[in-house]
Amino acid sequence: MADVEMKPADEKTRKDADKKDEKETTPTPPSAVSEIKSNIALIDRAVSTLEPRFTHRVLRSLAALRKRLNDTVLRDAIAEVYPQDSSVKAVLLSWLPEAPAQDQSMDIDPTPTPTSKSIPAEPVPEAEIYLRLLILHHLLTSPSNYAKATELAQDTVQKMQALNRRSLDPIAAKVWFAVERTYELAGELSDARPLFLAAQRTASLRHDDETQASLINRLLRSYLHYSLYDQADKLVSKTTFPLSAPNPQYARYHFFLGRIRAVQLNYTEAHTNLQQAIRRAPPPKIAPGFYQAVHKLFVVVELLMGDIPERSLFRHPVLEKALSGYFDIVKAVRTGSLSQFQNTLSQHAALFEADKTYTLIVRLRQNVIKTGIRRLSLSYSRISLRDICVKLHLDSEEDAEYIVGKAIRDGVIEGRIVHEKGWMECGGQKTGDGPEVSEMFARRIGYCLELHNQSVKAMRYPLNAHRKELADAEGAREREKELAKEIQEGDLDDDDSALGEF
Amino acid sequence: MSSSQLPGLYKELLRAFTSRPSDLQKTGQLLTQLKIVLIETGLIFPQRDHKPNELVVARDILEIGAFWSIRTKDVPSFDRYFAQLQTFYNDYSSVLPMSEREYPIRGLNLIRLLIQNRIADFHTTLESLPLPADELAVNPFIKHPVNLERWLMEGSYSKVWKAREEAPAEEYKFFVDSLMGTIRNEIASCEEAAYDSLPLKDAGTLLFFKSQSELLAFAQQRNWQVNLTAETITFAHKGEEKLDIPKEKLIANNLAYARELEQIV
Repeated sequence: MADVEMKPADEKTRKDADKKDEKETTPTPPSAVSEIKSNIALIDRAVSTLEPRFTHRVLRSLAALRKRLNDTVLRDAIAEVYPQDSSVKAVLLSWLPEAPAQDQSMDIDPTPTPTSKSIPAEPVPEAEIYLRLLILHHLLTSPSNYAKATELAQDTVQKMQALNRRSLDPIAAKVWFAVERTYELAGELSDARPLFLAAQRTASLRHDDETQASLINRLLRSYLHYSLYDQADKLVSKTTFPLSAPNPQYARYHFFLGRIRAVQLNYTEAHTNLQQAIRRAPPPKIAPGFYQAVHKLFVVVELLMGDIPERSLFRHPVLEKALSGYFDIVKAVRTGSLSQFQNTLSQHAALFEADKTYTLIVRLRQNVIKTGIRRLSLSYSRISLRDICVKLHLDSEEDAEYIVGKAIRDGVIEGRIVHEKGWMECGGQKTGDGPEVSEMFARRIGYCLELHNQSVKAMRYPLNAHRKELADAEGAREREKELAKEIQEGDLDDDDSALGEF
Repeated sequence: MSSSQLPGLYKELLRAFTSRPSDLQKTGQLLTQLKIVLIETGLIFPQRDHKPNELVVARDILEIGAFWSIRTKDVPSFDRYFAQLQTFYNDYSSVLPMSEREYPIRGLNLIRLLIQNRIADFHTTLESLPLPADELAVNPFIKHPVNLERWLMEGSYSKVWKAREEAPAEEYKFFVDSLMGTIRNEIASCEEAAYDSLPLKDAGTLLFFKSQSELLAFAQQRNWQVNLTAETITFAHKGEEKLDIPKEKLIANNLAYARELEQIV
């Protein structure tokens, strides 16, 4: 799962936790150099057999490999993969600090010299881009190299666009991710936007789905980073997210979409999108940062819809700590106490601010009031406006009357206000049946059927495997014929003998 | 007309605009001339490299234009000026010094969205303000629309009524009347749902009407039954709508399930 880390600038701490987790889960493979070498071989195979599956396998190991890179590893790998006098090799090496370390490593490590001779042919250009991607990721680990990384990123992008090979697409998608990261770390994320927009146009013209998916996410993230929700919304409405995009990209896309819709008060759609993001996200242990970020928004949106999130969510080992502030908010909303809500809000203001959920949470105020009124209407058959005012900590009776009136109109409660006597009479609650139920039911059935169809579509069959089956079937038919013949003959024999006996 | 005229016209505009009472007609004429100059010099949608002081002048002109549109009660024109100002506020925020009119104008835009009942746009705009969230509650120009929105959503209409005189800038008051219209309609629809009947006097207070004749006109508009002898208003309740079983839809759904199931089995 190479592409799953979400890296907003404010998630540094979680990212560290992420790294730790990932180290624990990956088994220790032989060595970085040999892994790179075998990866290059796989890429080569992918290009020659036109089977992008191999490239995907290479890219899956990217996240794990990235952590084990250093100057020596990269230099050795390049030296081994390319022939001695290759021009590409010189270019690639020039991006790494050429230190005395180069000769040193050559001397210490005995393997490179023989192997480099054994590879006579120049690897495919895809391999070069892959190596560039690795170098880029490596440069990004230390702040002093950011300027160099930006240069490399620009150079690589130009190279990619000049090459224009379809077999390059999966790698290109990853390169764009690295490019974005480079610009972000250098603090000029907005400068990369024209570059992304141009590339996105090209990618969609070439039906390059993977790059397109990656770039749409890059752009959305860039817009949301600068709170440009209008532009982000326009981008979403003008582009179609490629259906064949890989899961991590889909998860991201749904997350961004959920955020946009939540800001636009379209909570139902936001809820659906965030749910999709959670379902498509990699396991929480591998990418806790993303999992936490989605859930934070998810909890707030669920509250805004008037639902209370499940208690078990806050006991989840990955989420428990990250969501503690949100848990307090949920408690306040559940009890419908305005004062408790205000206290919690001011207490955790910095946290919500950092998560960019503060303005969303402020909107919850009306939900708190509504919950309060609903609780009162359930427990009293008649209550004076004065008491409502005291119980919900409202400012005046006059306000209470308007608020209750609005709640009745919005269908939050069933009841009547008797103005002359100054009280509210509460009626019975609506029972849950009618067309809404069947509609809900239809939607759920539709979802299950869709899921089934999707999974049937997603099944993979090895190429030409059906030929073998056909051959088998042919053989079986042959055998059957023989058998039938034998039986027939046997039957005749039997008949004969039977006749003979008679 | 050439760009050399810009400083002269700009000074004249400032004078016309800041004089008390400001000369609205002359400001309007000058604005038209200045806009032509701005277009000719490419300052209205700055793309090439302009000097910061030129950009500041362009921004000032557009800001005055925005205020002028409000004073002449021309909301669509305000909309256009605001759209043009976006470039200066968002893309040039690092180059230009902060304008003291920026937040009043942003606040006015928020109120405009609120009155037109574009709540989703209101929140999107609010979210994209370059302010930290706790600052929203402090900045007087932004605080006003934010509070109004909250009260409207909660239903604390009396607070909105009281806040109408507390506008942080002169121009905000222009929106008060239309805002009152909006909340009266809101309250009326609430009353229709929440009350069986109301005494005339109380209905007047709830809807913030000063005289009975205003109330009666309003009641007629909304088709309320007014009983003048008993001095009450009765609200006709729409009976519970009869729920039809959506037969065709159910049949279509069931057929679709059958088809899908057949594919699976």
